[in-house]
Amino acid sequence: MFFKSAISLQELNQYEQGRSLSEDAFNRLKKNKFALFGLIYLSVMIVLAVFAPLLAPYAYDAQDLSLGATPPSLAHWMGTDIFGRDQLTRILHGSRVSLMVGFVATAVALLIGVLWGTIAGYSGGKTDAIMMRIVDVLYALPFTIFIILLTVVFGRSIFLLFLAIGAVEWLTMARIVRGQVMALRQQEFIEAAVSMGLSRWQIMSRHLIPNILGPIIVYTTLTIPSVILLESFLSFLGLGIQPPASSWGSLISYGVETIEEYPWLLIFPSLFLSVTLFALNFLGDGLRDAFDPRSSKD
Amino acid sequence: MSLLTVSNLTTRFYTREGITTAVDKVSFTVKQGEILGIVGESGSGKSVCCYSLMGLIPSPPGKIESGSALFQGQDLLKLSERELRKIRGNSVAMIFQDPMTSLTPHMTIGEQLIEAYRVHNKSTSQQAKLRAIKVLQEVGITNIEQRMNAYPHEFSGGMRQRVMIAMALITEPKLLIADEPTTALDVTVQAQILQLIKNLQISHNLGVIFITHDLAVISQLADDIVVMKNGEVVEAATANALFRSPQHPYTQSLIAAIPDSAKPKNRHAIEVNAGDEIKANAAATPLVEVKGLSKSYSLTQNTWFFSKKREFKAVDNVSFDIFKGEILGLVGESGSGKSTLGRSVIRLLDADANVLRIDNTDLQSLGADDLRRARKNLQMIFQDPFASLNPRFTVFDTLAEPLLVHGIANKNNLLQKINELLDDVGLERKHIRKYPHEFSGGQRQRIAIARALAPQPKLIIADEPVSALDVTIQAQILELLLELTQKHGLTMLFISHDLSVVRYLCDRVMVMNKGQIVEQGETEALFSSPKNSYTQQLLSAIPTLKVSA
Repeated sequence: MFFKSAISLQELNQYEQGRSLSEDAFNRLKKNKFALFGLIYLSVMIVLAVFAPLLAPYAYDAQDLSLGATPPSLAHWMGTDIFGRDQLTRILHGSRVSLMVGFVATAVALLIGVLWGTIAGYSGGKTDAIMMRIVDVLYALPFTIFIILLTVVFGRSIFLLFLAIGAVEWLTMARIVRGQVMALRQQEFIEAAVSMGLSRWQIMSRHLIPNILGPIIVYTTLTIPSVILLESFLSFLGLGIQPPASSWGSLISYGVETIEEYPWLLIFPSLFLSVTLFALNFLGDGLRDAFDPRSSKD
Repeated sequence: MSLLTVSNLTTRFYTREGITTAVDKVSFTVKQGEILGIVGESGSGKSVCCYSLMGLIPSPPGKIESGSALFQGQDLLKLSERELRKIRGNSVAMIFQDPMTSLTPHMTIGEQLIEAYRVHNKSTSQQAKLRAIKVLQEVGITNIEQRMNAYPHEFSGGMRQRVMIAMALITEPKLLIADEPTTALDVTVQAQILQLIKNLQISHNLGVIFITHDLAVISQLADDIVVMKNGEVVEAATANALFRSPQHPYTQSLIAAIPDSAKPKNRHAIEVNAGDEIKANAAATPLVEVKGLSKSYSLTQNTWFFSKKREFKAVDNVSFDIFKGEILGLVGESGSGKSTLGRSVIRLLDADANVLRIDNTDLQSLGADDLRRARKNLQMIFQDPFASLNPRFTVFDTLAEPLLVHGIANKNNLLQKINELLDDVGLERKHIRKYPHEFSGGQRQRIAIARALAPQPKLIIADEPVSALDVTIQAQILELLLELTQKHGLTMLFISHDLSVVRYLCDRVMVMNKGQIVEQGETEALFSSPKNSYTQQLLSAIPTLKVSA
């Protein structure tokens, strides 16, 4: 409830609680086994990433040049690379970067995209036209060149990566949000909010955005995998994370070079990346069905 | 001779929320050359019942559990989809509520008629065309050669429904199922279409199933009537018997709920104790002054090389006053500009006006911030209670927002104020933490009314507040509006297409046609002796309950 801060909950607790739309959605989600698997897997992955320095068997930059590249063994479950670095350790540390890029860049995209789209969609007219033309222009910029320019000007840093990816991903979000807001704006309860004397900001934050949360959440879960892939792609090109720091993308790109001699260097990071992407996609599909009861079967 | 005999039809829907029995052991008979009316409120199963017969219910979740439907010696419920298709649109035809969505937009009327005919009859396109011209003549469409090449959107609502009827008749059906065929139409057009259906039924000796929620409409047409409630038939009788002496209490309540336009409203009886003093006072001071208000939209037409701008005047130079404490009715058919006018008065839409003064404030001169503050006094009740409430707000949120925004309540008395509002509109306090989707249409409209009352407004614009509701609920909401306006001394502009509702509720009435107010006056004077020819036409088209002696 929006205005519960205005009143002590004690007084309200005597009344029976209603079923909110989001509760309904969550109940539907719980019935979807794939989505539930995705949710659990992701939670486990996040815990692993957060506690990677404690859980990883070796230090992330520990080398054992005499060991060299070895296949999986009891000491090194996922083998080692040619510098004798433990692959499991590097994957765990890499998951921190990959997941962080996924979540932070998506959050940046979410913030800009939702605000931009809502303002454009609700204002309409000239404001809308100008804001959306800006989006169109940014869409037209070739992404790789944009990133290369950024790295040339500002040097390589992981924050730049967040920014760069976020700066590209919000465009689609803004378009989706604008479309939803324009449809919602026609509804009578928005007109009711205007006639109640609410300010534009109050209308947007209380009446518009909460009602498009469904599509926003769904698109967010679909953006995260694409952002993780983007980071992999950039690292693959050598524009992203630099050794000895690792990300799934950089590990895969390294693995590709040595695919014939040391296949395990490609297989394990790819496995982590793919399963995570699957999990995110399952969760995204599940959320889409949960928020849109019409599209799902029992 | 009975044409269709339905017995013990039961249809269930298996959904996530559980099993719903939409049609429960329904039996009825349609005789050749007679009209059977199926009457019920929304959710009574009247449409599902007929859709089941035609194999048109979505399955799953729908399933026909039992029953039989004998039509010309065949049991419709046992036929395969292929056999059914031979019957659908051939010996049994259907017409639907919304003639716009039931015609294909990208084909001309002629093509659609010809196709409908040739699906069931071997014929050359020339023969089919001749047949199409013949049925179009029958349904009263003029200038046929030219109209055959027109697309559905080029027809008006009434004309489209005529085309739909032509399409239903082209294969010479024995039985016609009409599902609320006049509900989406204006009252003057409705009268014409009803007459047309009656005439065709006689000349073709058709059996007709006429599904409707409107008792007044069905009383003019039907020979027999079946009343449905919650999927069951509660009463079946001949039309005369049913209206003269309804047996079932539900039927009685339905008949009682029809706002009787022939009888003046009972409002004056309540108002006597309020005294003539207020009336006299009120007459002197108009709360709302509108002079020369116009609102036009510009339509851009793109031709090959030029884009032509055309102005469409939705509201054309309208002037009127609303006096303190009165309910002013604004009546008109769809497209007359009544909703645009209502919204322009409180500047939800910006219009041009010489004078737009409410409570001695010039509304047009207000800036954005002042206007927001002024909105406290200007509230609105909307037509669709499903769309007018924020689905993510509990009742508490919905009502707390206006109270807090306008500083009417603070932390300490918020809950008390909200409870008072709930009491006012007759909602139980225990519902305070529930969400809109947990309420029925009538309850939602009560929430919307409470929200409009919350900032203690001076003027309420009610835009068709009861037209989306069932008749029994409609009567309750009207009663509530009447009671609240008196209790709080409210002034109301009541917009409606339904003349009997307006007569029941309003002190004065304005009639609007094509953006202009063609007549205004005291309700009873206007209804008993309308001066304007359009008003006369409108009044004579109201369907009234017909009970032959």
